[in-house]
Amino acid sequence: MILFFAGITSILLGGLGMLVWRRRPGLAAWTFAVLVGAGCALAVVPAIQVLAGGAAPEMRVPAGVPGGDWVFGVDLLSAFFLLLVLLVGGASALYGLEYLAPEARRRPVAATHLLTAFEIAALALVVTARSAMPFLMAWEVMAVLAYFLVAFDSEQADVRRAGLIYLIGTHTGTLVLIALFAFWGQFAGALSFDALAAAAPQLPAGGAMIFTLALVGFGFKAGLVPLHFWLPGAHGVAPSHVSALMSGVVIKMGIYGLLRTVSLVGPPPAWWGWLILCLGLASGVLGVLWALTQHDLKRLLAYHSVENIGIILLGLGIGALGARYDASMLAVLGFAGAALHALNHALFKSLLFLGAGAVQRATGTRLIDQLGGLERRMPLTWAAFLVGSVAIVGLPPLNGFVSEWIVYQGLLQSATVPPMRAAVFAVAGLALIGALALACFAKVGGAVFLGRPRTAATERGREVGGGLLAPMGALAAACVVIGVVPVLVVTPALRVGASIAGIGTDSASEAAAAVGPALQWISFMAFGLVAMVGAGWWLRRVLLRRRPQVWTETWGCAYARPNPRMQYTAASFAAPLVVAYGTVAGVQVTREPGHFHTHATDVVLDRVVFPLWATVRTWALTVRPMQQGRLWLYLLYLLGALLVLLLYLAFRAGGPGS
Amino acid sequence: MKWSVVVSLAMLFVIAPLLPGIAAKTRARLTGRRGAPVLQPYRDLARLWRKGAVYSRDTSRVFRFAPIVLVATAAFAASLVPLDGQRAMLSFSGDFVAFAYLLALGRFLLVLAALDTGSSFEGMGASREVTVAAFAEPALFLAFVALVLATGNLSLGGALGGPLSQAWPGAVPALAMVTVSLFLVLLAEGSRVPVDDPATHLELTMIHEVMVLDHSGPDFAMILYGHALKLALFGSLLVGTLIPRAALTAPLAIAVLALGLVVVAVAVGIVESVMARLRLNRVPQFLTAASALAALGVILLLVG
Amino acid sequence: MPRVVELLLLLVILTSFIVLGTTRLSACIRAVAVQGLLLGLLPLALYPGGSLHIWGLAGGTVLLKGVILPRFLRWAIREAAVRREVEPRVGFALSLLVGVVAVAAAFAISRILPLPERERAMLVPVALATVIIGLFVLTTRSKAVLQVVGYLILENGVYLFGLTHVERVPFLVEVGVLLDVFVAVFIMGIVVFHINREFDSLDSTRLTELTD
Repeated sequence: MILFFAGITSILLGGLGMLVWRRRPGLAAWTFAVLVGAGCALAVVPAIQVLAGGAAPEMRVPAGVPGGDWVFGVDLLSAFFLLLVLLVGGASALYGLEYLAPEARRRPVAATHLLTAFEIAALALVVTARSAMPFLMAWEVMAVLAYFLVAFDSEQADVRRAGLIYLIGTHTGTLVLIALFAFWGQFAGALSFDALAAAAPQLPAGGAMIFTLALVGFGFKAGLVPLHFWLPGAHGVAPSHVSALMSGVVIKMGIYGLLRTVSLVGPPPAWWGWLILCLGLASGVLGVLWALTQHDLKRLLAYHSVENIGIILLGLGIGALGARYDASMLAVLGFAGAALHALNHALFKSLLFLGAGAVQRATGTRLIDQLGGLERRMPLTWAAFLVGSVAIVGLPPLNGFVSEWIVYQGLLQSATVPPMRAAVFAVAGLALIGALALACFAKVGGAVFLGRPRTAATERGREVGGGLLAPMGALAAACVVIGVVPVLVVTPALRVGASIAGIGTDSASEAAAAVGPALQWISFMAFGLVAMVGAGWWLRRVLLRRRPQVWTETWGCAYARPNPRMQYTAASFAAPLVVAYGTVAGVQVTREPGHFHTHATDVVLDRVVFPLWATVRTWALTVRPMQQGRLWLYLLYLLGALLVLLLYLAFRAGGPGS
Repeated sequence: MKWSVVVSLAMLFVIAPLLPGIAAKTRARLTGRRGAPVLQPYRDLARLWRKGAVYSRDTSRVFRFAPIVLVATAAFAASLVPLDGQRAMLSFSGDFVAFAYLLALGRFLLVLAALDTGSSFEGMGASREVTVAAFAEPALFLAFVALVLATGNLSLGGALGGPLSQAWPGAVPALAMVTVSLFLVLLAEGSRVPVDDPATHLELTMIHEVMVLDHSGPDFAMILYGHALKLALFGSLLVGTLIPRAALTAPLAIAVLALGLVVVAVAVGIVESVMARLRLNRVPQFLTAASALAALGVILLLVG
Repeated sequence: MPRVVELLLLLVILTSFIVLGTTRLSACIRAVAVQGLLLGLLPLALYPGGSLHIWGLAGGTVLLKGVILPRFLRWAIREAAVRREVEPRVGFALSLLVGVVAVAAAFAISRILPLPERERAMLVPVALATVIIGLFVLTTRSKAVLQVVGYLILENGVYLFGLTHVERVPFLVEVGVLLDVFVAVFIMGIVVFHINREFDSLDSTRLTELTD
């Protein structure tokens, strides 16, 4: 744990260095980069040690505040998520250095970098906390710091609005979590995770209350439908490296919380597992459907985070059901799939957001229908974005395929466990999610990078600097490595899965033996595919060397003068699918002579949350007359309340049992 | 018997372009015409292969990579299907997923190549292609689930091999519905009537044809071949489900597969001459019907 | 003959699906006619001994549900000269999915109920599914003729429930039920005719105009 805390301290110092040396931005940036990088590297060492099979370290700190000792530790689950936090957090922080550099004069950029460093530290503490108090404190710090990071461009009204909605969402979740730990703590002697786990057998109704509260509280943070309404706004308006951090890491804390709850309490009730499965399907399908309707690149990516949380929940549901029905292989596969997809998603989603940031830096706009043809001017960004797109759709040979394959394995194998057989229908749902994601990323890649630029600003875009490209390259390389050699991460993930399910490590090795041959074949397939494509490319070059190759206008069926505005727009590309799904897609269409506009709305936000809020306001307004601003009236209220209480006590005393 | 696997794979690669030719000839005969010779696709491929290429200045490397990836992924997917009736070249648990996602990779790059040209025609075709795929994939996966439930085997090589012949007697209705569903998916993925019409060349009515409008020369040859290979792959899935060949000797099994593919091509030709192409907003309905059939099959297998 | 019974019941479900998924009214009517035919064959398959009671039931059902009522409905749409159903309240693709869910739910619910012997074990789930699909068609389609078709499917589902006890129910009751259905459809046909004459269309949503 010493290494871990040394790493955290280094990160914090790097952040502080930005503040101390704010007159010398070059030095500040250097110290930030070195200290944060070194800090992440140091803190990740215990995680890798634990994942490779080492013992789980732990550290107690008597804090002198109510709630018992503060315990920190790195067990298998924490190690896996710590890896995620530090890899993606480090990459985003380094990206942010160059990304925010042009705005240094107008905005408090140094303070933002300080907050980013603190955020990474808070995230690391959330996953390593092994007692309720430090967990909740780190959680709240993480949430509030994220608000400040999101509301960076706070002079724009929509940024403030999105930040406010985010704050409401996250605080509601935190409130539910406080209720969760308060309720749970009643049954346990202390508030440390070990004590809470020991109290699990005494929980009423098999922990139903705990699991419900955890689903709502952690669900707000994870962004599952219908608790996702804050997500698109917040992730859309934040600076790109903050969006990457939030989509990649912060929402995974919700998943971490759910997995931790399951690992502490034990097998959840069956209805909870089925509920998670249904919510996962809903989040997956609705998330990608809503993504298809978006015009804003970053909001689109944010909705894809909702979709991938859905896929993670599918794995979690299978794991929960497997644990309930004593199907240890299914439990291990399900939880491992959930954890692995969380890691993979963190990698490729942050890669995509960093790419979107590069596009925004180069062209000044986030609207897809104003971009186009950027692959010519930004080839490296396009390469990274393409890697991220192929990964997020789940296509071989990249990492998305591996984790989706594991979730498919879990879903298909549930046919062998009689109470769970109906779960095989989720396979069709996951297939639909994959096909819709393909449609969406074909739209994004094609409309943003391919074709011709649609506006003059886009035509002037230039490739971004190395400081932005390096983190993207690192993340892309990670995606490729995991995709081509999956056994590197799948074996630790299986052990993590076994630890969550509370089964011994021999189940994990049994599962590893079962999927091992398949993983080798997947590696072979990945290498073979690359080799075949390479051979085909070489063959084609040899073939065409002696043949005439003519470069001319796009033929487009002999249309004489195509201009960039004639290209298929992204909205038209998605139109057949969006129209097929009807009102649930939440698209408002305005048709006027000479003018056509589609506006994407969030169905949950506009049809549920806002009307709910409006109803609350109306009721609140009826109580308004009580607040007149007159002091004597308030004193009268106090007197009245006192009188009522005295009367109540008199009746209680006079009634039964004086 | 490894040689049978290699031979059957080679047979599939050779026979693939024949299938669109047979379908076109059947359609022509049934509508009172002579039609092009059955071997015409081979001549087309040879002719295109000898040509040079014309590229648009707006396109990038994606445009030139897409045909290669299409053929490579289709070839890899072919190695996952047990073509000789007993085993596949590559087989692992859950390789259904790899089969479908490999073909999806080919489709993804082809759609990107279409958008690369910056023309609205290709964009239109690409948009419709992904819509059809979004409705066809659930049907395909439900058919896979039915095969998994019927045979208890999680890999294509296992499910379409020996265990299937034992599963058929007990599950005739369910597997019959799955076969029909697979045929409907074949029509959709192979861009045949009633989803798309390979004979029309009006952009407003095409899906696949219009998506590849700008490719020429060897690239176009690869795209035609890759598409024919996809048709052959779905055909071999169909033949494998309908006629389990595990009990046959290898040469006989391969011959039955070849014959079965020809029959599938003729059936496609018959469907094309009997039905008209559906309106584009009816295609989701058509494919939902395919999914519903497969889902019914799954329900029957779950309770039976 | 358990296999034949299973096959017939499967075809009953498939005809219900055709009604859910097709746009053409004549196809719907043809499907419900085929369904009536299948329902007529079912008693013969369930009780191969074949008493007069069974033959009478089979014959009556085939005649009424397979021939007379569909002819009548076809006359009704010819009079109104309609061809297709406009987009119903719930789209066609979604209707198909609801149909699948109904079948799955029916099978799931039937697990809990005590079922008769193996041969008739599929009757109850299929009957339940047919009733649900009939109700669904009845409530979500806007053309009056299709609502009549939905009612017919509902009645077919009730008939399937009755088939589980055929030898215990007196023949008179069966005849009474068939007569009931005949009269109901006859009256509905007349109403359809009058709707068409009043509004010049078969859109039953226009019936709300009568309230003012």
